[in-house]
Amino acid sequence: MHVPTPHTPLPRRPFDRSSFVLSATLAILAVLTIYGFTTFDTNGVDMDMALDMLGDNAKTLFFAPGLSNVTIEGLLKNLGVTVALGFLTTVLGAVIGMVFALASALNLAPVWLSVVVKAFTAVVRAIPTVLWVLIFAVSAGLGSVAAVLGMTFHSAGYLIKAYAESFEEVDAGSIEALKASGADWWQVVGQVFIPSSRAALMSWTFLRFEINFSTAIAMGAAAGAGGIGFDMFMASGFYLNLREMGAFTYAILIFAVLLEYVATKLHTKTMQG
Amino acid sequence: MTILHVDNVRKTYGGNSYALDGVSFSVEKGEFVAIIGPSGAGKSTLLRCVNRLIFVTSGEVSVNGIAVTGLSNPSLRRLRRTIGMIFQHYNLVNRLTVLENVLHGRLGYKSTIAGTCGFYTASEKNRAYEILHAVGLHEHIYKRCDQLSGGQKQRVGIARALIQDPTLMLCDEPIASLDPSAAKIVMDTLRDINTRLGITVVANLHQVHVARDYATRIIGVNNGRVIYDGLPKDLTIDIIQKIYGSEAHDLILADGDTHGTH
Ligand SMILES: Nc1ncnc2c1ncn2[C@@H]1O[C@H](COP(=O)(O)OP(=O)(O)OP(=O)(O)O)[C@@H](O)[C@H]1O
Ligand SMILES: [Mg+2]
Repeated sequence: MHVPTPHTPLPRRPFDRSSFVLSATLAILAVLTIYGFTTFDTNGVDMDMALDMLGDNAKTLFFAPGLSNVTIEGLLKNLGVTVALGFLTTVLGAVIGMVFALASALNLAPVWLSVVVKAFTAVVRAIPTVLWVLIFAVSAGLGSVAAVLGMTFHSAGYLIKAYAESFEEVDAGSIEALKASGADWWQVVGQVFIPSSRAALMSWTFLRFEINFSTAIAMGAAAGAGGIGFDMFMASGFYLNLREMGAFTYAILIFAVLLEYVATKLHTKTMQG
Repeated sequence: MTILHVDNVRKTYGGNSYALDGVSFSVEKGEFVAIIGPSGAGKSTLLRCVNRLIFVTSGEVSVNGIAVTGLSNPSLRRLRRTIGMIFQHYNLVNRLTVLENVLHGRLGYKSTIAGTCGFYTASEKNRAYEILHAVGLHEHIYKRCDQLSGGQKQRVGIARALIQDPTLMLCDEPIASLDPSAAKIVMDTLRDINTRLGITVVANLHQVHVARDYATRIIGVNNGRVIYDGLPKDLTIDIIQKIYGSEAHDLILADGDTHGTH
């Protein structure tokens, strides 16, 4: 066998189309970025003052949060409204998701039904949540009803796919064993599918709750659904109150960290089985 | 009394080759039948045609005088609950406890709602505990099944089949994944079920010597056809060679040795 000595030159890496495209893209982006900086129109702006103000604003936002137009009870209540919007749409989405996942997992449903449901949910998922809310706003008017409908719709589409994939991973042997002992379809669902995929189902549902929470903040402002998102919209766009913005941001941050903590706990449990 | 009657059964999975190519035999109550044959001979297919996990392409299978091909769903459930089945890979629900897995054997007798939610009566639970005692697993009833050894899992599988009160027990390579001592415990348990409870056993086995030791009758299958059907003592080396073809050489060398053919 030929053993390469230290003097043997390393063979050149063969030309690789995809890595070439990647480097070319990066190079073009770098050139454009530098070009962009040089062509900024900073005539009317005093850069020193602007940077100063930016620093000041950031300081106010993050180091001097406070409430003026809203009381602390008001803030908590509106945070509650946003959480409730996220929670409600997740629960509704989970119920619808479960029903249609049973109809679309290949080891539970006939192929034609599975194909139909999967194609339909792919379309639902392809349209972003905000668009669904706007679509429902046509008939329900912009507001909480449209937000609930639109967010539920997209959550359902997402959870149908997630649940169905969890179901499809269930061991075919145990399904066969229960069928062989005379169990019917529902009994197999309740005794094999649910226990075998429970951890995954919970994990997916919680992940969707996190997504829905942040969507609910945006919908509060964008769709007038109320809650802390609407408060932020008022504080920033209407009162120009940075200290209040800071308070809202912290409230959301604390809640998000809490969610993340629970999600990680759940995930670890899933991994353990 | 004839428990199982297989009449000229053919099965094709599509294409023009037959996994079963005109198989016929009858099994009387109390027999311990071993089905042997090389990999791909059609043993698993044959067993699954009995409880209609697989539909036959042509021919007929009758269990306790009931033809399985024409059964409606409810009647099929009623028939299946009288047929126990155990598997090479045990096929338990790993996330559930030993007790819950054994109770699955009662599902065929329960209403959809009670079964789906896992509501069992006190007498069903007591029965499950008794059977677990009989197979020596009474100390593990609340353990999750993924914490058991292979031999213990297979005994849970046997308990799950026994609680069905079966008249016929189908075993698809019950010891193929077990070490020799666990395999012996499982085979002894099956023999016990056969002789003491009078349950008819039909088992696919990979090891000829195990079939010889335990079965009252051996059916040799090759390429979807029955090559041999008779007493273990009449199974000569010539016939083994006919059943196993090119695999026979290893088998004859390994015969009598507890490790079988793997
Ligand atoms: N689901 C299936 N789809 C297509 N062909 C199959 C299927 N199951 C089995 N077969 C084919 O049918 C034939 C018989 O298979 P079967 O599993 O019954 O054999 P076996 O005797 O149990 O073998 P082994 O000892 O390996 O378990 C094989 O040729 C196999 O490839
Ligand atoms: Mg097999």
